[in-house]
Amino acid sequence: MTEVMVEPWMLLVVAMIVFAIGLLGVILRKNLLVMLMCVELMLNAVNLSFVAFSRMHQTLQGDITVLFVMTVAAAESAVGLGLIIAMFRTLKTVDSDQIQMLRD
Amino acid sequence: MSLSLLIFLPLIGFLFNGFYHLKMARSEQKSSAMISGVIATGVMFAAFLVACTYYYMLSQLPADGRLFEQTLFQWMKLGGLNVSFALRLDSLSSLFVLIITGVGSLIHLYSIGYMSEDETPAKYFSFLNLFCFMMLNLVLGSNLPHVFLGWEGVGLASYLLIGYWYQDKDKVLAGQKAFIMNRIGDLGFLIAMFIAYKFVGSLDLIDLQKATLTPHVTTVFGLLIFFACTGKSAQIPLFTWLPDAMAGPTPVSALIHAATMVTSGIYLLTRLSPIIEASNTVLTVIGMVGVTTAFVAALMACAQTDIKKILAYSTISQLGFMFLACGVGSFESGVFHVMTHAFFKALLFLGAGSVIHALHEEQNIFKMGALRAKLPITSITFIAGWAAILGLPPFSGFFSKDEILWQSLSSPHGNVMLFIIAAASAFLTAFYMTRLLVLVFFGKSRVDPAKQKHIHEAPMTMAIPLMVLGVLSLVGGWFGEHHEHSGQEMMVMAASVILAGLGAGIAYQKYKNFEGEEKTNQFLMSGMGVDLAYLSVFAKGTGTLSKWFTTYVEEMIVQRTLRWSTAVVGLSGNLFRVVQVGSTQAYLMMILIAIVAIMAWVFLGVGQYGKL
Amino acid sequence: MVNYNSLTVLLTVPLVASMLAWFIPKGIQRLYAVFSSLCILALTLYQAAPVLFASTSAAVIEHKLAWLPEIGVSLNFRLDSVSGWFVALNAIVAILAFSLKGVWYRKNPRLFTSLGFFLVSALNTAFLSADLIVFYLAYEAVFIPMIFMVGIWGEQAKATAVFRFFLMSFLGSVLMLVSIFYLVNLYHEQSGIYSSNLFDLIQATAGKNSPNLKWCFIGFFLAFAIKVPLFPFHGWLKDVYTLAPMPATIWMSAILSKLGVFGFIRFVSPIFVESSQGYQGILLTLAAISVVYAAFLAIRSNDSKSLLAYSSVSHLGFVMMGVFTFNPGGNASAILLSVGHTLVSAMLFYILHLIQERQTDLGLETSHGFAKLYPTLFTVFFIAVLASMSLPGTLNFAGEFLVLIHSYAASALCTIISGVGVILGAVYMLKFYQQLGFGKNTTVTINSNTGAKDLAGYDLVVLSVLVLMLIYFGFQPEIFLKGN
Repeated sequence: MTEVMVEPWMLLVVAMIVFAIGLLGVILRKNLLVMLMCVELMLNAVNLSFVAFSRMHQTLQGDITVLFVMTVAAAESAVGLGLIIAMFRTLKTVDSDQIQMLRD
Repeated sequence: MSLSLLIFLPLIGFLFNGFYHLKMARSEQKSSAMISGVIATGVMFAAFLVACTYYYMLSQLPADGRLFEQTLFQWMKLGGLNVSFALRLDSLSSLFVLIITGVGSLIHLYSIGYMSEDETPAKYFSFLNLFCFMMLNLVLGSNLPHVFLGWEGVGLASYLLIGYWYQDKDKVLAGQKAFIMNRIGDLGFLIAMFIAYKFVGSLDLIDLQKATLTPHVTTVFGLLIFFACTGKSAQIPLFTWLPDAMAGPTPVSALIHAATMVTSGIYLLTRLSPIIEASNTVLTVIGMVGVTTAFVAALMACAQTDIKKILAYSTISQLGFMFLACGVGSFESGVFHVMTHAFFKALLFLGAGSVIHALHEEQNIFKMGALRAKLPITSITFIAGWAAILGLPPFSGFFSKDEILWQSLSSPHGNVMLFIIAAASAFLTAFYMTRLLVLVFFGKSRVDPAKQKHIHEAPMTMAIPLMVLGVLSLVGGWFGEHHEHSGQEMMVMAASVILAGLGAGIAYQKYKNFEGEEKTNQFLMSGMGVDLAYLSVFAKGTGTLSKWFTTYVEEMIVQRTLRWSTAVVGLSGNLFRVVQVGSTQAYLMMILIAIVAIMAWVFLGVGQYGKL
Repeated sequence: MVNYNSLTVLLTVPLVASMLAWFIPKGIQRLYAVFSSLCILALTLYQAAPVLFASTSAAVIEHKLAWLPEIGVSLNFRLDSVSGWFVALNAIVAILAFSLKGVWYRKNPRLFTSLGFFLVSALNTAFLSADLIVFYLAYEAVFIPMIFMVGIWGEQAKATAVFRFFLMSFLGSVLMLVSIFYLVNLYHEQSGIYSSNLFDLIQATAGKNSPNLKWCFIGFFLAFAIKVPLFPFHGWLKDVYTLAPMPATIWMSAILSKLGVFGFIRFVSPIFVESSQGYQGILLTLAAISVVYAAFLAIRSNDSKSLLAYSSVSHLGFVMMGVFTFNPGGNASAILLSVGHTLVSAMLFYILHLIQERQTDLGLETSHGFAKLYPTLFTVFFIAVLASMSLPGTLNFAGEFLVLIHSYAASALCTIISGVGVILGAVYMLKFYQQLGFGKNTTVTINSNTGAKDLAGYDLVVLSVLVLMLIYFGFQPEIFLKGN
């Protein structure tokens, strides 16, 4: 078996696919929880591309940024989850089509 | 002592009574006719004494310098215009001041008795004082705006007093009519002031008297001033308010609508006589209007049944005589008639008031009769007034009226036509006044039996003014300027006395044993339909115009344009609102599409940036 | 140049009062508001005294602070004999508007007081600013509290009225903004510096008469003509006046309209000398039509508030006659008449509100005969009516007389036409007063709480002071004219 070298462009392709899945999920799914998870997916795709670029250029900036993003993402998902729970408590739904209060 | 006392005394009375009225009205108490009346009469009498003193002081001065002046403060000063609040007393204004304060205080005194039963005498007396304050401003003002202050001020007081019993809507409307018709005239006054300022550069009366203007400006100015006078002095075309003004209390009619306010037109014309005289057109118009008013109003007076209306039309007619005098350039005789008229017409009104008072608000002369025995003082004084207005010698009216008749014939501006119409008016005057006298005091009694028992002579406060005015009506004419009478003038005198006697005789024959009620000419009684015509043309016209403006211009054009333009804006707003669906995911979709589009534009070379 | 901070306090103190209102208990908001506006009046008079009570019209207090030097915008405040009186009137009107009791002190009182003081601050900024951009900002800021007031405490069906009001005013002011930009640019072309200072712009347009300047003139004209309002831009007025809560109506008729008058005197006539002279005939005609037309509409009105609204338009027509003479005398008399109109219209709406508190039915189809119930109130009312008809001896007469005597020199015909308004003014004001006061009181519509009480206490004091002012200044208008 020949060892296949993981080229950075492959990582970028994976990142693109994951990002697209996340984006479509956010746009198409109606459940806020799933939407939040898809946002996480998009963030991870971005992280992956950061790592890939970092390797491509043989620098450390990308890796460090990823660490930042991961910390922020953790905080963000905690807050997001909290918000969704609060919304569920008051509105009894997490369907994004039902929540259009700003429109009126 | 200063001139300002003349105006401040009535002002004090006004303020005192005004606050006294408010104080009582707030606690729903009746103000005392005695307290308010005595104060009001007191200040007027004090002003009369001041006026007498000034009259005496004035007569001590040399003939060409008879003038007192007092500047109180500066009123309006802007650019070249400098209007001060200054009082000026000369022989003309001192005569008017004497009439206003003298006759005024008598009528104030009379009012104490007349208004004793009224609900709010303090209010009444405060208005009366306000009137005197404004009237004195009118005759003492040293410049046109100051005169205008008095001019509108007396109109205001007149409005308040005509509609004094304001719970009666008709009386209020009569007051409103008077005020608005006066304001129509006042517009003439205002524009005359603008013209005077533009062409003379000053509004001071002395500057105006000295001013030389182009003939055209003189004519326009004179006509505008005269127009203002027709409003205040109830001449054609603005005379119809005066008969309605009789809705006010009778002493008010005597003071405002007979003796003083309505003569302010004569005052103004005389005051500005140098300008008025400079234009023949103006003089002719004044003379024609004056004599026509005198005749027409006398004719209308013959058909009235209301005692006060007869006197009102009589006042209009007599004012016409005064304007006739001004129109033929004989301002002195006009002013002389103002004085004698003030005495006898105030007397006649107060006498009528006494009759009305005695008969408990009965005003129809066909429901009176044979009151001579029951009202001795009233009837004797009334006869004196009657003789004076007829122009029977030696009563006061004789001197002034004959002077006017003579001037209308002999003056450079007079002519036979004016004289004949004036003489005819004098004849009619004799007729309707005798009719009034006979129907009220002589003949058979037609009084409502229920009221018959309660007929009583006036109390002392009312009787004293009657007697004083009776004496003045007799002697008032003796102090005019006497001059040698030519033979022709004697003829005129004789003719007028004969005419008066003839008119009186006919009326006496017709009415001495009159019974029932006379069917008078409706056309004349209603003031020849002028009132109705004005109502349908001006009052309705204003209403129609405002209706048109409201429905057509405002609703159909202004509001509709506004509605449409707002609708257009609203619609375009809705158009863009479609995009705002409110779903987060739809927004995200739009963002996605936008990003893709921008990327395509940038990287695929769709736009110019693609070529970078 | 007097004290450094002397003029900014006129803007900041009301603003502080506006914020402080949120920390004052709801129950004493009225007390707080009246007291604070009294303090503002005292402060204004104290600060403006060197100008207001100077013997000539040349006295000026100026205060300049840089703000955005890159685009030439500065906080340049100027208190002179033109703006001084408007600032003082602003404080007086605030006292009157805050004095009225009503739903605004029951529902959201803190917001009301806060908005009111914000309005005062914005108005003062507009009156004082000699910088056109800052003026524009303040001019727009005035809308905010106005719209909130009509929206929150107004009567039913107010949304359309507010919308129209906003739209018309906004149309005008946006055009004005464009014109300001053009002028700033013009100055930049000439001197290479950006500046929106009034005097720089006057310099920029001096002696010029290009078509573009005419368009700018029209932009300014529209903004102020709508604000006053002048015929035919008065369409928004009736609904807004009638639907607005009484304090807002007072503010609008008494002082917001003066913003337009002020704008013409302060900005339009010095900046667009040529255009103003060129269009003078049309402008005077519009003013004269305003007088007569609004008077006719007022005669037709059967609702007290809309009658007063139209009477206000009619009288502002007289003010505009004075403004459009474009000479110092005419402008000084226009300011004098503005003062009179501010006091009288505020007073009339104030009185109307007092009657409304006592009686619920105020239609003018029938006569009510309230004068017998409330003798003092109707005496004061009558004096206000007389002043409104500009009877000699009142401040309004002095103003109107001087205005007309100046406009007569400019256009005799327009003056005579507007003179008809003097007669019509008597017709509708008398109708108004007579229908409310005279006749027999047959209608039993007494408001049970306050129904039977005559004018007394605080209201009596306020109205008496106003009456005294009207009469005193009617005979002593010198202080407003200053030897002009």
